[in-house]
This record gives sequence, structure tokens and C-alpha cells, in this order.
Amino acid sequence: MNRRKRLLEDLDQDIRDHIDRETQDDIDRGMSPEEAHYAAMRKFGNVTRVKEDTREVWTFVWLEQLFDDIRFALRMLRKNPGFTAVAALTLALGIGANTAMFSVMQGAVFAPLPYVNPDRLVMVWENNPRFPRTWVSYPNLRDWQRSTRSFQQMAAFREQGADFAGPGTPEHLNRKEISSELFSTLGTKLTLGREFSPEEDRYGGTPVAIISTRLWRNRFDSSPEVLGRSLTLEGVDYTVVGVTAFGVTAFGFRLQDDADVYTPLGQIDPLILNDRAAHDGIYALARLAPRVTLAQAQAEISTIQNGLDHLYPDANRDLGIYVEPLKQFVVGDAGKMLLVLFAAVGLVLLIACANVANLLFARSAARAREYAVRSALGANRTRLVRQLLTESVLLSLLGAGLGLLVAIWGVRLVPAAAVSENLPRSENIAVNGPVLLFTLCASIAVGILFGLAPALKSWNSDPQASLKEGGRGSTAAHHRTQSILVIVQMALTLVLLVGAGLLFRTLRHLSDVNPGFDAQHIMTFKVGVSHSLTKTVPSTRTAYQQMIERIRQVPGVQGADFTGSVPLNGGWIMPFWIGSKKPASLQAAPRLVMFLTGPDYLRTMGIPLLRGRFFSPEDTTNSPCVMVIDSVLADIYFPGSDPLGQTLSAGFSPVGPCRIVGMVGHVKQWALNDSSTDIQSQVYFPLYQDPDQWVALNYPNMTIVVRTPLDVASVMPAIKSAVYGAGSDQPVYDVHSMREIVSDSMSSQRFPMILLGTFAGLALLLASVGIYGVISYSVAQRTHEMGIRIALGAEKRAILRLVLGQGLRLVLAGLAIGAVAALILTRLLSSFSHLLYGVGANDPLTFFAVALVLTGVAVFACYVPARRAMRVDPIVALRYE
Amino acid sequence: MSTKEHIDRIELLQGTLDLLILRTLLLGPAHGHAIAKAIEFNSDDVLQVEQGSLYPALHRLIKRKWISVEAGTSENNRRAKFYRLTPKGRKQLALETGKWDKLTGAIARILRPRREEGRP
Repeated sequence: MNRRKRLLEDLDQDIRDHIDRETQDDIDRGMSPEEAHYAAMRKFGNVTRVKEDTREVWTFVWLEQLFDDIRFALRMLRKNPGFTAVAALTLALGIGANTAMFSVMQGAVFAPLPYVNPDRLVMVWENNPRFPRTWVSYPNLRDWQRSTRSFQQMAAFREQGADFAGPGTPEHLNRKEISSELFSTLGTKLTLGREFSPEEDRYGGTPVAIISTRLWRNRFDSSPEVLGRSLTLEGVDYTVVGVTAFGVTAFGFRLQDDADVYTPLGQIDPLILNDRAAHDGIYALARLAPRVTLAQAQAEISTIQNGLDHLYPDANRDLGIYVEPLKQFVVGDAGKMLLVLFAAVGLVLLIACANVANLLFARSAARAREYAVRSALGANRTRLVRQLLTESVLLSLLGAGLGLLVAIWGVRLVPAAAVSENLPRSENIAVNGPVLLFTLCASIAVGILFGLAPALKSWNSDPQASLKEGGRGSTAAHHRTQSILVIVQMALTLVLLVGAGLLFRTLRHLSDVNPGFDAQHIMTFKVGVSHSLTKTVPSTRTAYQQMIERIRQVPGVQGADFTGSVPLNGGWIMPFWIGSKKPASLQAAPRLVMFLTGPDYLRTMGIPLLRGRFFSPEDTTNSPCVMVIDSVLADIYFPGSDPLGQTLSAGFSPVGPCRIVGMVGHVKQWALNDSSTDIQSQVYFPLYQDPDQWVALNYPNMTIVVRTPLDVASVMPAIKSAVYGAGSDQPVYDVHSMREIVSDSMSSQRFPMILLGTFAGLALLLASVGIYGVISYSVAQRTHEMGIRIALGAEKRAILRLVLGQGLRLVLAGLAIGAVAALILTRLLSSFSHLLYGVGANDPLTFFAVALVLTGVAVFACYVPARRAMRVDPIVALRYE
Repeated sequence: MSTKEHIDRIELLQGTLDLLILRTLLLGPAHGHAIAKAIEFNSDDVLQVEQGSLYPALHRLIKRKWISVEAGTSENNRRAKFYRLTPKGRKQLALETGKWDKLTGAIARILRPRREEGRP
């Protein structure tokens, strides 16, 4: 740097020396000193330019020019505050919406999982001819762990809530039962303490627990002396051996602090762990060994599973295995959905760009004279274009700055519009580093995009013509480009409106669907029953029966009973067969959804009884077992015959054969728009006939449904005191109204509808501003012509028609193109199986309605300048030239 | 008059001046004025270098490290800056000269094609 400075400083001296020498030479040849000096100067050339050229050798010229351009651009933006404000706000909306959407994508889809080398983590599923993924059998998992070489480590976990009795007030906790390897497989270091040992991870091992940082804070004041303290879960005292900040959720949706407490999986009921045929809630997670590919691991584990299938044909027949990257499992289908929404918000940005490009066109027409003068004075064209692009990029950065505010605000709203299945890892979503980088790149790209066309236009303009025209520029050419931009805007807006419209209609149709039960006035909740009352099977049965009786006594409660699963919340799927002949392969057998319920469930839920009877309190373990089927099962498996009196068995560890005593209406169990691929056959089995060995596992998972005309808040205290009547260590949790459950079940349509609706609204706003701008500009340009028309006797209506006609032509062209594009793109929406319901992808009503809305808004936007045209005073207009 | 000048003097192609400077310095270190004089003299005044344009070119070569600069005294005991060819510059000169020969050879062949053998 110094060297460069010195060289440049010496330059003056060098030049002087040079000229002196030349002068001396000439004097020696006989010239007079004065003559000689001028000759030397002539020969040397322009000293200033030589200095400048030399300086350029040593400097980053483009950088200096960039600073000049930026200074000039800032001056131009300041000089036109109106233009700058409109353009920056337009861009702020477009870039802000995109930034918000990118934050969502980044948090939910792109961001790596918070584990060590998360790309090497996989889920290992079993599968069968009916399901691509099922929970794994614990004995199979243990055998994999012993034989595999493709996996560095393999761990298991199971979600099983637990009633927590102390220290502190009773509470229902999210508990995970985990194998001893889980945390080391994830590569997660515990905040405090240690993992479970293999000795603790087996039946009869010491009860130990790892707690979350949340529980540590709330119940142990984050004390480092927590290790060795005890906590009571499900009536058992566990010793705390560790504290962790991270975990893994069964459905992967929340990854941080998701479980409150972890206990060893090996200590749970041997009914689940020892039965190879049981697939009961256990997930397998593994880390691939170094340099082993997914395909290799899949091949090896499949071979191992084949071997097991031969060894244990009864339990394992038709069982396969499927290895899936953890990230893919966690993100699920949401990734594809979010990508579509991201594309939609991209269209909004394009519309915003078109608006700003149009503004720039209008301005470049006004500035044509400036460009002409500058290029006549010798500014080269590259330099002119570069300077215009600097202006537009600066404008878009300004928009991006404002857009970030929009994004920060929007990012807070997005997760609120979704439930976890639609938006995995929503806790990750924030405007962070990668998002800012995206915004920066996007805004520079956008600045070039919308600046390029007007800049190139000025490249091609002929300075002579511009100067002659007195600054009016080549208006015809400008008009054509502007019109094309408006048509594109209209087309894109139509596409977005159609998408939002289809989803809106879908939601309308869904809320008209009959769910198969009466959703009004029902609430559901879960209850833990004191462990002093559930030491034996008979006392457990009595305790639950007494509790539901107490709840039925609460004033305002019209009915109450237990159920194993609540409609629209997924269900308990199991294989079944009719008659006494058990099929050879249970894995390949047909499936049904099992409802384990009390006798008053049907009446409480308002499900219609179609034939025979429902359960009575007399159907107990002391009487022959009975089942009730739904109309779908009856239609499929008893076509033309009477199901009543026939027998049915169900489950991998089957109950039955039980006599079918009744038939009830079908209930929407999966979603209001159940697809035919979901299991539809339903069977009800009396809770009071649940075999003794399953009582300890099944009873604590019961949900209570209550019919009451009162609202949740007013009836809940009475219900709680009825529940607490039997002891104080019983939490009441998961309280929901059935209406809420129905509404949540529509969220996979509502979430994209809200987003797409917002984007479509933005698009409509921007596009109408766009057409308004272009028509206004054209009216202003044609003031002279309008004046002549009026002077020659044109009626005001004719002028109005002229201007509106011009706008309408653009709108109609846009509609035609947009309709074709929408027809193609809505197929994309319908490719998501659950997204559209009750409307086709090319629903004519939707297309017609949104086209009408768009036309109406656009015509109104043209009407404002049209009225201005109508009021042109011919005298003023003519004098204007 | 102006037409005549056009014919007599040839404007230098871009980069050619660099080549000429390097070639001049091959004979030994020289100061700016001497370089200009040498180019004029050696080309029989056909190549009219605007002397000022020498300086940006010299600085370009310094930046590329093809020549170095040192202080010294000129023939009549005046303080002057001497430019000297570096080993890197020597290599570059060989390279550029080769290229130049190829280029001029090719152009010459196009402009004045030799008659093909076997023809009169």
C-alpha cells in the first residue's frame, strides 16, 4: 500500500523530469527554451490524464465508481420521495413475505437436526403388506442390535405419558421410555449426570430417570444436587441420574425439550417386550456406521430380518424392514407443502417486481433527456446501465430492510396458524443468519431483475431522438412493455386467487361433512387414577368405574364414559378375522380400528345405533365377550348377510372370538375427508371385558368423553373436584372440546389456505396498484389527446369507455393466460391427497368467482384515472404543449 | 495533412507498448525519457508514442512485477528513476515475443499469401 502511494507521489517528479529532459534535448537541437518547452509538452500529451490513468493502474476503479453510483443513486431516491416510498413499500411487502416464508422453510425443512452428524441418523421401521411403517417388535430389535454391522448404534424409544406425583403438585408428564443407547446414538451430551446403564435397561432394574431441563427448573430449582433425588411416576419412586436439554419426539415435531422425563424402556411390562408379535409403540432409531450408505444398511438389515422371519414364522410372517433418514421422517410431507407455498409467495414477489419495473419505466421516460444529455457528453452505455442498476438494487435493499420488519412480524403469526403436523419444528422458525443471507441475495437479485428491463431500454434509446422529442422518449415502446407486465401480474394474481379459492371451498365442504357423531356439547379429557387405588386388577376396575360414576353425578353432565380413542384423532389399528379360522399371516390380514369403550359411550357421543344393541354394564369379564361393528365393516365383510350373531377376533395377541351384537354408524376417525386408503372398518369392544393382563396397560390410557351443554371452563372445576374426591394425586389433563378437535382436524387445509389467502390478497393489492399506475400514466401522457377529443365534442362517457376499455383489455388478457396457468398449477395442489375435498382442481365456480373479483378490483383501479381523463379541461390540455 | 499523418504514424495496439518497454529494458535499466526515446529511435519514428502514455504502462508493469524500479543518477548526474527488467518480466517478454511472431506471421500470410507450389 505504502509502495503504491510512494510511486504515485513520485509520479509528479518523474513527469517533470521527463519534460525537462525533452526540453533540454530540443534546446540542444537549437530551439528557443520557450519553443522547446511547448514542443515537449505537446509530445508528452495530457498530463492530467496521464496521472489519472496511472492512478487507475493502482486503484480498484470499479469500487470507486460503485461508490459514486451509490452516492448518485441515493441523491436520485431522495429527490423523488413519492416514487421511492411507493417502490420501497411494494418491495417490502414482496420481500417481507418471501423472507417470512423462507424463515419457515429454513426452520422446518432446511435446518439440520440438532444432533451430532444428523445426516447419519435413520429411523428403522418394520413394515407389512398393509403399512409402509409400523412400530417395531422389541425382540426383533434386540436381534438386529446383536447382528448388524451397518449400524454403529441402534436405540429404541416409546412414548408413554406418566402421572407425576411429586415433588410438587401432581401433573401428567410427557414421558419417553428409552433404551440405554438413545442419547449416545443421537450424540447428545447430557447437561448433567449420565445415561442409563444396560443393567438398568432391563426388567426388574433399578428405577432411574433422566429429566428435562424444564422439569429440572420447575421442580428442582435447577439445583446441581438433583442427581440422586427421587421423583414419583405412576406410583413408583425413580432416582434422577441425569438432566438433558434435547430429546427426540415420536413424531419428530418438536425436538427441543419435548419429553419431560425419560425412564428405561427395558423396565416396562414384559407383555410388550417379550412378545415378538407385539408392535406396540416402540420406535427404532439408529446411526449408520462410517462409510455405510443407506442402501447398504437397508440391504443388510433386510437380510437379518429375513433370517428372523424364518426362525419365527408365526410372529414375523410377511414382516419387512424399512430404513428412512431421520430428517425425512421429521419433515414428512410438510416439506413438499411448504415448497408449494414458497413458490406461491415467489409469485407475489414477481408481481411486486413488475410494479416497480413499471414505475421505473415511467420514470425512465421522464429521465430520457437526462440519459441523452449524459451519453451525448460521452458517458458510455455500460456505465449508464450500471448506474441505473445500482439505483434499482439500492431501492430493493431499502425494500428488503422494511421487508425484514414485515417478516419478523409475519414469522410470529405463521406457527400460530398451524398445528404441528403441518409445520414440523416450528420452535426453530426465526429470522436468523441464513434467513438474512437469503434476504440479501434475494433483494440483490430482485433489484437486478426489475431494474434490468428499464435500464436496457435506456441502453437502446437513441440520444438524438430523445433530445429532439423534448424528453417524451419512445412512449409507444414503453407502453407495450408496461402492458405486458400488467398482463403478467393479472395472470399470476389469478393463479394465486384460484389456489386460495379452492382451499376455501374445501374448508366449506369439510365443515358440512357429517363426522358420524354429534360434535356439539362434547368435551374430552384424561385422568390419572391414584396408584394406591390401582394396585390390583379388580381394584383398578372398581376405581375407574367409581370415578366415571362420580363424573356422571356432576350437575350439567348429561353423559360420560371411557374410550380408548377419540374420533378424528387417529386410532388403534389391529388385524382381525371373522369366524373361528385364524388366518395364516396376521401381518397380511385385514385391519380394523378398535374402540375400547364403556357402555354409555355411544349415547354420550350421539353415534346412531343401526341394529341390535350396544354394550350394557352387564357385559363384563364374567359374561361371554361381545363386539359391535360399524356400518362400513358390515358392508365390506357381510355383504347380503346378517352380521349379528357372527363372531369376530382382533389383535396380534387376539381377543375373541366375540359375538357381534350390534351395528352402529360409521365415525370419521382419521379426518373429515377420510381417504379410502385409511382403515375404515371399526369395531367396539367393552372396556369391562378387557382381559385382566391388559388392564394395567389399557386403563391409564383411557380418555373420558362428557356430554354437557355447559362450556368447558364452567363445568371443569366441578369435574375436577369429582375426580379429586378419590385422592389428591390425580392430574386431569388434555382437556379439549370436541368442536376444537373437529376444527384442528381441518388445520392441514386451513394452514395452507390462510397462507395462500394472504399471498393472494397481497397479490391482488399489488396488481391493482400496478394497473392503476399504468393507466394513470397513460392518461397523463394522453392529456393532450383527451383535450383534443373533448374539444372536438367527444362525450365524457366515451372518454370513460376509452380508458376503462384500455384497462379491461389488459385484465382480460391476463385472465385468459392466468386461467390456463391455474389449470396446470392447481393439479399440483390436488396431488396432495388430503388437500382438496369436495371441489375439483378445475372447479368452474371457483374460477368464475375469482375472475369476477379480480376484474372488479382492476376495473375500479382503472376508474380513478378514467375519471381524471373525463375531467380534462380542453383549454388547459391544449395549452400544455 | 491529417490523412498523411494517419498513414505515417501507426497507433499502437493495446498491450504492444508493454511489449516494447520490456524489449527496451532487455538492453539494461533505463529511465522513462530514455525508454521513450529508444522506442522512437529504434522504430525509425514510425511508432509515435505519446510520451505520457508511457507512465501508466510502466506502472502497470511494476504492478505485475515484470519490471522493478530503483533510484539512480543519469548520465549528466541528475537524480532519476531507473526501471529494470525482472526475471519474471524476462520470461514474459519471451512469451509475448513468441506470441507476437506467431500473430504477425499469421496476419502476413493472410494479407500476402504465398503462391501454392506447382502453380506459376
